[in-house]
Formats: sequence, C-alpha cells, structure tokens
Amino acid sequence: MILTAVFLLSLSSLAFEVLLTRVFSISQWNHLSFMVISIALFGFAAAGTFLNIIDTHKKDWEQRLSASGPVKIFIILYTVTAIGSFILLNRIPLDYFRLPLEPVQIFYLLTAYLLLALPFFFAGLVISLAYAFIPEKTGFVYFASMAGSACGAIIPVPFLPLLGEGRFIILAALIPLIILPFERPPANKIHTKTKTISRGKRFALQASGLFIVIIAGLLVSMGDGIGIKVNPSPYKDLSRVLKFPDTRIFETVTGLRGRFDSVQSPYIRFAPGLSLKFKDILPKQWAIYRDGDTPFFGYKLQLQKDEWFSRFTLPYAGYMLAPNPEHILLIQDGGGSGIPCAMACGALNITIVEQKPQIAHMVRKNYNIPVVNQNPRAFMAQSDNHYDIIHIENWGSSIPGSDALTQGYLFTTASFSGYLNHLTENGILIMARKLLLPPADSIRLWAGAYESLRSLEFENPEQHIAVLRNWSTFTLIVSVKPFNDTVVLKDFARNMNFDLVYLPGITKEMVNRFNMFDAPYHFFEINRLAEAYRSGTEKAYFETYPLDVAPQSDSRPFPGRFLKWSKLKTLYKMTGSRFYSLFMSGEIVVSVVFLEALVIAILLLMLPVFTIKKQDKKPNISHLIYFLAVGAGFMFVELFFIKKYIFIFGDPVISFTVVLTGILIFSGFGGYCSQRIGPGGLRNVLIALIAVLILVFLGLDPMIHGILGFSKILQYALAILLLILPCFLVGLPFPLGMRYLLNRPAQRAYAWTANGCASVLTSILSAQIALSLGIPIIILCAAAAYLLAFLISNTKIIGQK
Amino acid sequence: MVLLQIRLRGVSDKRVQNAMNQVPRHSFVPEELVSQAYADHPLPIGQGQTISQPYIVALMTEKLKLKGDERILEIGTGSGYQAAILAKIAKEVYTIEIKEKLYKKASNLLRSIGFSKIKTLHGDGYFGWPEAAPFDCIMITASIDHIPPPLLKQLKNGGRLILPLGNPFSYQYLSLVTKHDDQYTVKQITGVLFVPMTGHALDQNRTVTDDIP
Repeated sequence: MILTAVFLLSLSSLAFEVLLTRVFSISQWNHLSFMVISIALFGFAAAGTFLNIIDTHKKDWEQRLSASGPVKIFIILYTVTAIGSFILLNRIPLDYFRLPLEPVQIFYLLTAYLLLALPFFFAGLVISLAYAFIPEKTGFVYFASMAGSACGAIIPVPFLPLLGEGRFIILAALIPLIILPFERPPANKIHTKTKTISRGKRFALQASGLFIVIIAGLLVSMGDGIGIKVNPSPYKDLSRVLKFPDTRIFETVTGLRGRFDSVQSPYIRFAPGLSLKFKDILPKQWAIYRDGDTPFFGYKLQLQKDEWFSRFTLPYAGYMLAPNPEHILLIQDGGGSGIPCAMACGALNITIVEQKPQIAHMVRKNYNIPVVNQNPRAFMAQSDNHYDIIHIENWGSSIPGSDALTQGYLFTTASFSGYLNHLTENGILIMARKLLLPPADSIRLWAGAYESLRSLEFENPEQHIAVLRNWSTFTLIVSVKPFNDTVVLKDFARNMNFDLVYLPGITKEMVNRFNMFDAPYHFFEINRLAEAYRSGTEKAYFETYPLDVAPQSDSRPFPGRFLKWSKLKTLYKMTGSRFYSLFMSGEIVVSVVFLEALVIAILLLMLPVFTIKKQDKKPNISHLIYFLAVGAGFMFVELFFIKKYIFIFGDPVISFTVVLTGILIFSGFGGYCSQRIGPGGLRNVLIALIAVLILVFLGLDPMIHGILGFSKILQYALAILLLILPCFLVGLPFPLGMRYLLNRPAQRAYAWTANGCASVLTSILSAQIALSLGIPIIILCAAAAYLLAFLISNTKIIGQK
Repeated sequence: MVLLQIRLRGVSDKRVQNAMNQVPRHSFVPEELVSQAYADHPLPIGQGQTISQPYIVALMTEKLKLKGDERILEIGTGSGYQAAILAKIAKEVYTIEIKEKLYKKASNLLRSIGFSKIKTLHGDGYFGWPEAAPFDCIMITASIDHIPPPLLKQLKNGGRLILPLGNPFSYQYLSLVTKHDDQYTVKQITGVLFVPMTGHALDQNRTVTDDIP
C-alpha cells in the first residue's frame, strides 16, 4: 500500500512541478518561476523535520502514521492543496516588479511560497514515512519514488497539448486518489506492523475522494472562467499587444516547449533597425508568442514591393555586401524580419533553420519556403553546404537581463567558427541584436568574431569585422574577405541615417552622427578592445570592464548574462541606482533565492536539534553531512546532464525531459538493485561513482560533439545510453545509506530532510556555477560531494556501526 | 522648486523657468496630493497615468528650444500640466489624450484656469493630428518602442520631436529627433521612466474640441 502511495505521489508531484514551471513561465518569467518553485520544493524536506519533531512527542509514530488511514488522509490533503494552491496562486496579485515598492507584495510572495510548499509537504510526508517505516526495503521505496517521478516527468509530453496547463494540473493532482478504494488484505501486508482501518473510516475516505473528484471534474469542465486559465504577465509583449483593438489570438498550441499564441492585429509593428527614412506602410503582420514573450513575426508579403521595407533595415547592410547571392542560410530564433531581407535581395535559394516546430510550421505555411526544423548547431554539424550569406536573427527577451540564465549556443566562439566554415569565399555573416548601453552585447560579439577568425588563422581578424547601429539595434557583419573597400557600408549607413560603430579605417568624426549618445561609447569600447587584442592585453580589458563581455565558449554559453559580481556597485550606479533594474537580472534572482533557500534549509535542519531534548536522539552531524553530500551529488549530476544536453537538443525543455526521465529510471533501477548490496558495498559504490563522474568530466564533451552529427533518433538513443552508468550509480548511495548507516526512524526522516535541502540548494547553486565557472565544473562538484560522502561513510559512521 | 530642482540641474532657459514659476502645478494634481505637488517626483493622477516630475517637464520643454512662435503637438495630455507649460512659451498648443476621463478633466481644468488657446482632442495620439499639421515641435509624454511614422510626417522641416524611446516596461531614453530636409538625427538625452503609450482608442472614435468646449 505505502509503496503504491509513494509511486503515485511521486508521479503526481513531479508532474505538478513540471506544470508549475510551465505556468510560471507564462505568468512570469523563467527566472522568477525558479524563485517560487525552488522554495516550494522545501515542502519535501519540511516533512522530514515534521516527523523528527513528532518523534519527541509520540511513540511508534511511524507505525501510526504509515497505517492505511493516515496515508490516505495525506493523499487527500495532497490533492486538495495541489488544486487549491494552483487556483489561489492564479488569483494572488503577485507582481515582482512592485516588490521593492509595495510591502504587501512580500506578503503575496510568502503566501505563494507557503501555498505551493503544502502539496510537496504532504507528498514528502508519505515518502519519508515509507523510508522510516520499512528500513529493510529502502531500495524498493527508492525505486517506487524514482519510477513514479520518471512517469511524472514523461506524462506531460502527451497530455499537456491535449489538456492545457490548468486542466492538466488538476487532473494530475487527482492521480494519487486512485489508491483510496483499495485496502491490502492483512495477509499481504508489506510489513508486520502495518495497520488497517475500519470500514466506516474507509467509507468516509472514499466519499471524500469522490467529492474531490466531482469538484475537480466541475472545475475542469467549466472551462477557463473559474481561475484555471493561465494568463501571461501584464508586462509581457503578448499582454501589451492584446490591449489594442481588433486584436485576437487565432490559435493556441500548448506543449512542453511552451504555449504558442498566434495573434492577429492591425497594431503589430515589428521592424527592428528600420530607418526613419522609410515612409511607406509596413506590410501586414502576425505574431507567434512563446509563453507570452519572445515573439516571432510573420509578414504578409503578397506583392514584391511588400519586401521593400527590409532594404531600409540595419541588417540589410550585410546583404549590400553580397549582391546577387545564390544561397542564403537564415537561422531564426525569434524576430522574423530576416526572412523579408533574404527574399528582398533576390536570392535563388533560401534555407531557414527554425528549431521550434510550431514556428517552423507557420513559416513554411506563410512563405512557402523550405524550413529545416532542427537545432542550428546540429544542422551546421551535419551540413556540407556553403552559403553566400548566413544571417542569424535573435533579439533576446523583451526585458534586458531577464534571460541571463538562458543557455544559447548561437553566439559562442565555436558557433562563429562553424558559421565561417560554411561561408563561400566571398561569404558574409550577419548578426542582428538589440543595442545595450553600457555597451555589452556588441563588444562580446565583436570579440567572439575576432577570436574565431584568429583561431581559423585569418590574418588581421579586425579587418574582417564591421558593426553598425541605429538607436536601438546593432548589426555585426563578418566578411570572409577583408573590408578593403568600405564605401558600400559607409554609403548605406549615411543614406539610411545609421551610424558606423566599427569599420577598418573609420575615425571618431565618422561615428555617432545620426543616432547620438553623449559620446560614441560603442565606438570607443570596441576600438579599445581591438587595441587590446593587438597588444595582447585582451584579458586585462575583460577583467577591468564593468560587465562580463568576454566571448563565450560552449562550456559557458549564456548570451544574456553580463553581470560581474565584483562590479555590482558600479553597475547599480550606471543603471540609474534603480533596484528593480538589478532585480530583473536572472543572476541576481538566483542569489536572492539561494540566500532564502539557505535560511530555510538551516531552519529545517536545526529545528530538530533544538526541539529534541535527549542527547542520544539528536541528529548526528556525520549523518547530516553524508546525506547532504549524497543529495547534492545527485542534483549536481542531474543538472550537469540537463545543461550539457541542451547542446545536443537545442531546447532546455527537451533536455530536461530526457535527462529527468533517464536519471529517474536508471537511478530507480539502482535503488532496486541496492537491495542486493551488503553494508560493505557502499564504499565500493562510491569509489566507482567518483571514478565514473571524473570520466564523464574528461570524456563527455568530445562525445556530445560527435553525437551532434547523427540523426535525431540516434541523438536521443546515444544521449540516453550515456546516462545509464552514472545515473544507475547515483541511485545507490541514498538507499544504501538509509539502510546501513541509520538505526532509528527519526534518523531516516532527518536524512530525508537533509537530502531534500541539499537538492534545492544544489539546484540553485548549479545555475550560478554554470554562469560563473562553466557547466563542466558542476560534474566536478558532484564528484567532490560523493568524495565527501565516501570519507564520512568510510570513517565515522562505519566505525560507529 | 525652480531653483533647486530645475536651475541647479542645468535647465537654464529663462522662458522655461518662468513658465514653471507661473503655472500652478498644485491645480493639476489630485486634491489629496496637493501637499506633494511641488515635490521632486512624479505623482499619480488616476487612470494609471502620472504627472511627470517637474524637472523632466522642464527638461523636455527646454530641449525643444522654443522661441515663442511655434505650433506644438503634445501626445498624452494627462493632467494638462505639460500643455500649460508649453502654452506659456509657444504660440499654439495642440494636445491629444487617449483616456476619455483624463481628456475631459484636463480640458475643463485648462479652460478654468485660463489656457483657452490650447486645443485638446480625445483620440489615439499615435496618428497625430493631421488636420492641424505640420508642427514645429511634437512632444510624446508616454513611452514607446519606436518613433511613430505618422508623427514624423507631421513634423515641419527643421522640426523637433521629443519622446521617451525604448521598452515601455523597462527604462527608456529621452530622445530628441530632429528633421533636416529628409535626414533625421536621434539624440539620446537621459534615462527616464514613463508610463507606456496605449492604443485603446480608435482613430474613428476621436472627439475634437476646438478651443475648450
């Protein structure tokens, strides 16, 4: 009975977590969803603390609470709180932007934390009870928990598109109620101490369950009007455009990759980098918003003159350098204005690479152009074609800084090299981005292009790069041939009232003429950097610049991240001493969440120390360190693979689903096999695990680069294959530790708390480690955590036993 | 207010200083906020809109380099305060407000305190006021992420358009667009934070008031 409950609750709570991430990604931003969900997951750990406190007041609590009746009550409470917290959360006017201004927002935030922690608390209660109550079968409990979670990770894939976020959350919360009608006969009890319940209580529980199912059924069938519809944040682009008259969503497609809303409006106007010299009317447009933001815009190009506007946009400067191109490669990641550019230049062949299937479908339908629906890096790895123009379009999110945590491989030095290797001998690479002040992105892309050209042994790399801007965007152009003749670009800039930022041979007098800042900041900085490269002092330049603008590698691919902690004060002053502008940085949010999480973890871990009065019953520090280390190690491994596999799949959601399902299945299998391992095996398991993790650190990179060249099916198969050994091994130390290192139920409940706290803290820490030190360091942290567990298990605890 | 908040921050145009001295700012703020009318920050005026900080009003006015004979279009009447300041300096002031309640309130207020030469209109300022164009200067007092082409068209040669340009839900740059023949320059002045320009009203729903009704 309790193993089934563990399975169902693990399934439901993981599906709930995945769906909450989707809800917050729509109603807020990804990094803010991280904030609420991370803290809510402490509900799991709190269950262990609660049981420890119970231990001081009630004898045989593990027998009483793990009896059929209480477990069913906890399941009902789980379902009620999961549904209730989602509906209430949808109604709380929580607004992160107002946090520094309105004290009431702190109350809303705390309420959100508490509400969302409740279902995880009840799920955690049943799981930790199972560990405490049947110590001889911790491997089976672990297996049930992991197998359930694996199912919870995978079920949103088929059901989310059918049901939508709100309905699916409610239905997923109902799943554990399946257990209510069933009661194991005494002969089949999993444990001799298992208690059964009377028929009257059983009937009451079943009636309660039925009542909840009916209410939930009504909520689901009544549709969106009663608080289950998830609306995007009012600050997102979609909410803004929907305020205009005659604007409507004509299609919504929901899935794990996001909610895609297609919008028709006479007020949609997207033409970044458009010259003020363009006087005509823009062609009609439509837009697809992913989670209410990062829109893709389509143009209704019925006549050839409809493409004309694109000749007035800044990226078209690159097209001026390659007249009559035969073959153009357009890599789309948001935006959409690149397509009319490619069409307007009269290219014979246009290849569009668009990773999101929904957008790829719409582009194909709208423009009648072949679209490759693939991860751009995989496309580059598999393609032998050469192009006259490669145009990369990615404008970032609607609010600068909010995508600091987003991994992206379009602008790493290795990507630059890939693009350059696919250009013809007169080829042109075009990249268009938003213009930031203080200069940030423009410097980084210039440096990325420079280092890539240098690595490919181009002479005088700076002779191959040009940068132009208007008031809000810039375009970086890299030419395979050096810019010996700069007249075309100079004329284009002057005619369109654009400004030159970097071009071989230009002077201060030739810049900052049409779109004027107080000083030509971008020109100064890129020229300073060029000089630094010439004198070999680029490292000093990157160290002293107030922002992190160093070119990015595939190991640290965060194109929206510029924060330097050592220069935080300077940055605060540069952005007008406004707290909210820092708060919108994903990285600042990570640090705030980590501090909050640390305080909560300390509270949950210390509470039993202070409330338990008998010295011999107080938690043991060695046990605490062992389970903290094991919890941290597991999460480091999980996060490492999720982040690494984004490189293969290109999409964090796909990577998350593949890795989570894989790690839960294989570690669950590890837990199952742990039942056959004796006390002495723990040491060997940890040694083997550390060795495997070091091998992963040393050998995974070349392997995943190799995988990129294979077909999609092989990519999935090989990615899963690589997970088997490390994930199997990480499934062993927790159940083995539970079984062989601990004696009392309260100790096991405390170990559960430690494991939960470590998981939350590590997941937040991993994000910061990846941003600051790079993704590979995460797996070294995992090895270090397991080494600590090995040292503890090898010395103190084994000695005590 | 004029000395501490405006002159000492570098707004040196005497006309602007005089206008800021003459126009009773307290008449334009809600009754309950009168005590803060001259404070160095914006104030809410209802309908999700604000009356700008005195310094920003003065700065935007000064950057238009008014001589006294200009025809000016203001987009976003709000409380009517900015229009009143402009009217103290320029020859003709046209102002458009999208929110009907604010439009009515500001129109009545301007009339009641003697600014009868200001022409007010209820409508979507994005499309400007073609019937009254061309203008020497245009001022947009709500944030927008691009420069509205209809307003550029309604600008005279040598005309100036000032606006908070950038992401309406983040910060913007106060920008001055100048038109010389067919050439445009955009000058970024300073970082600002304005309420977003909205587009609730349709062009055809506009209500025009010549002078004050």
